[in-house]
Amino acid sequence: MAKRETYARTWLKDFCYIACNELKQIFSDGGVMLIFFVAGLLYPLLYNVVYLNGILNDTPIAVVDEAACSESRRYIRELDATREVEIAYKCINMDEAERLMKERKVNGIVLFPRDFGEKIQRMETSTISVYCDMSCFLYYKNVLMSTNHVMLHEIGRIQVERYAAAGFTDIEAAQLVQGIPYEENNPYNQAFSYSIFLLSAILLVIIQQTLFYGMSLLVGTQREQNRSFASLPYHLQGHGMGRVVLGRGFAYWGLYMAIGIYIALIVPAIFGLPQRGQFWNIMALLLFFVTDCVYFSMTFSTLITKRESVFVLFLFMSPICLFLTGTSWPTTAIPGFWKVFSYIFPTTFGVQAFINMSTAGGDLSTAHDQMIALTIQTVVYFFLSTVAVYIENWIIRHKEEIEERKAALEKEIGIDFHEEDRKMIAGE
Amino acid sequence: MKTWNNIKAVIRRELRIFRQRPIYLLGSIGAITFCTVFFLTFFRDGLPHDLPMGIVDNDDSSLSRNFIQQMDATQLGKVVMFDNFEEAREAMMSGKVTSVCVIPEGMYADVSANRRPVFTYYLNGLYFVGGALAYKNILTMINLTNGAVQRQVLRAKGVNENAIMGRIQPISIDTHQIGNVTTNYGYYLSNMMLPAMLELIIIIVFIYSLGAELKYGTSRHLLKTTDGSMLDALLGKLIVYTVLFSAIGLVLIICLYHWMHFPIAGSIWNMFLAIVLLVLASESMAIFIIGCLPIPRLALSVGALYSVLGFSLTGFTLPVEALPPYIQGLAAAFPLRHYFHFYTQEVYFAGGFAGWYPEVIHLLLFLFLPLTVIKRLKGAYVNQNFPTN
Repeated sequence: MAKRETYARTWLKDFCYIACNELKQIFSDGGVMLIFFVAGLLYPLLYNVVYLNGILNDTPIAVVDEAACSESRRYIRELDATREVEIAYKCINMDEAERLMKERKVNGIVLFPRDFGEKIQRMETSTISVYCDMSCFLYYKNVLMSTNHVMLHEIGRIQVERYAAAGFTDIEAAQLVQGIPYEENNPYNQAFSYSIFLLSAILLVIIQQTLFYGMSLLVGTQREQNRSFASLPYHLQGHGMGRVVLGRGFAYWGLYMAIGIYIALIVPAIFGLPQRGQFWNIMALLLFFVTDCVYFSMTFSTLITKRESVFVLFLFMSPICLFLTGTSWPTTAIPGFWKVFSYIFPTTFGVQAFINMSTAGGDLSTAHDQMIALTIQTVVYFFLSTVAVYIENWIIRHKEEIEERKAALEKEIGIDFHEEDRKMIAGE
Repeated sequence: MKTWNNIKAVIRRELRIFRQRPIYLLGSIGAITFCTVFFLTFFRDGLPHDLPMGIVDNDDSSLSRNFIQQMDATQLGKVVMFDNFEEAREAMMSGKVTSVCVIPEGMYADVSANRRPVFTYYLNGLYFVGGALAYKNILTMINLTNGAVQRQVLRAKGVNENAIMGRIQPISIDTHQIGNVTTNYGYYLSNMMLPAMLELIIIIVFIYSLGAELKYGTSRHLLKTTDGSMLDALLGKLIVYTVLFSAIGLVLIICLYHWMHFPIAGSIWNMFLAIVLLVLASESMAIFIIGCLPIPRLALSVGALYSVLGFSLTGFTLPVEALPPYIQGLAAAFPLRHYFHFYTQEVYFAGGFAGWYPEVIHLLLFLFLPLTVIKRLKGAYVNQNFPTN
């Protein structure tokens, strides 16, 4: 019994020592501080400022009204009144409108053909042509939505007029024109605001990426200076990996819970992003997500041997992580391989859970699958990072032996690798 | 002649470094290959299909079943049935379905009796593309249903079949999607995401290359190679990296517009010009950043911040007009923004020289940036008086 207590006490002592040591490392490294505290705290603010509005209003379009009848004029007036588009130019012919489009003064063209009014009078279908600028899909969406909404409205109006002329009462006409009226609800993102969906995703990607870059920076520095974290527990002689991994993890975990609370709870409040979730649900999510991110970073930072190389090798993953979350491109349309690939990243599940709970206002049950996935990830990454530390520790402890073997091998082959390297860099 | 010899020496030295440290080629060729494979396969479908759309059928009549079958038969939608609204709402909140349609109880009876039952639908706009497409699909379906109801009535009244269409739909819209006829998200996003990735990679790798000289204290050796000429040293490095990145850029353009058959209205040769200019402008920006901040880690962090922001400020997702006014001007500080204008002119409108020449000037203006910091960078290279970590 006494022995066990001693073990527990040693364990705790080592754990505290390692956690404190790691914190000391973090706070004495300017680069890591920059990433954790400047990037971690400023990035969310910056993105919120950039995507402050998030809705594209009044896309300029050109109108070519060859019909010049009362119907087309009414259509144009109504089009101009929509939120989505603004009639910036009224052109005499298509050539002029095309030129404006090429000059990027307008992002869409609406053409009313000469027979537009006549066909309506003849009770035929008259067609208007819409030309959309596809360089940005929001232009296309705006032009398409506004012209279609006005079309539906105009159709209703023309039909009601006709039925009235045919002697129907208002109610009868309405029954005919719209037998099934519909009611639209878009409860979480009413105007399809770009910022609400994107920011909710970006916030958690920032947590994961800054943690990963910061940790890799520190790991790279330590490796450069030949004092890898894996060599810490000297007196442990290769045992007790658990306390190394847990101790280091705890240091980052503590810091990132604070940063996470700031990013996931305070930043949205500052910028008025929807926060419909229960406080404790979001805290539970952060608990799982941050723990997962810590061990994710610990696992993958073992690949980093030099201080700055993490940027060169992994910066391009940030936008890709965002796509893999499935918030913009639907998960059901993601090819199988990339779906499996997305399971590598905590953000894939973290972002979905955050959106479901915080932005949409669901409870924990709406993030059930994601929470389970996060837990599995945490376990796997904890295991992997322990293995990584174990292997590295073994290599460090057997360094001399390995060096000896290498030297023996070099002698055998007859090449002095180091001298060769030096010469190559010096260009001799 | 001396200059040329100096430059040649730097080029040889740079190629040696490439051989010594695989990170440069891994960070450029490796990274862009991964991104290319990713974006070209990720948006394979072009437009998502079979989006899960929830339906709560409270009516259970032939009309509602017909509606559900029609909805299921659309290319975009795949119907997921729910017993009650509570379950459906939960599924929508968890992102399992993009939308929920509620068919009211007694809809068929009400329609037959002209009582106008209200059809309700709910969308989840947080899963953006899915929500927006589901919206489009539902709107189309419900209007078609209304049209069908009206057609039944008109038929019963003996209106002739040809005249019915003109009455149901007095106005129709003929949409022309210029340059992307199939509304292919793959074309739309990969066209810009890949050059954006290239810009990011150029800035980071080039800053790293210049910073590594400071970090490992080899900067004096570099200057010794060129007899103390900073300009020669930079030119030598620039030649190596320009060749490398231009080659990557050209392959990228060939890949997009030739092998993958992305629609292009103009000429692929002009796009070659665009990508080379983007490469040059991005390199200049990298020199500017490391020149202003000759501390490798700081320069890399700033470079990372800058190039990642470029994705947002280029305006190919959310147009720049929709950003706050005080941010809009900043967009011009990104080479990618000018590349975007160039590409729009060439790929969508075949604008030719007259269309894109201002962008060429804008991109070339970036080349003046290094001149402003070359002295400072030389100072840092000679004195090595900045922190290296």
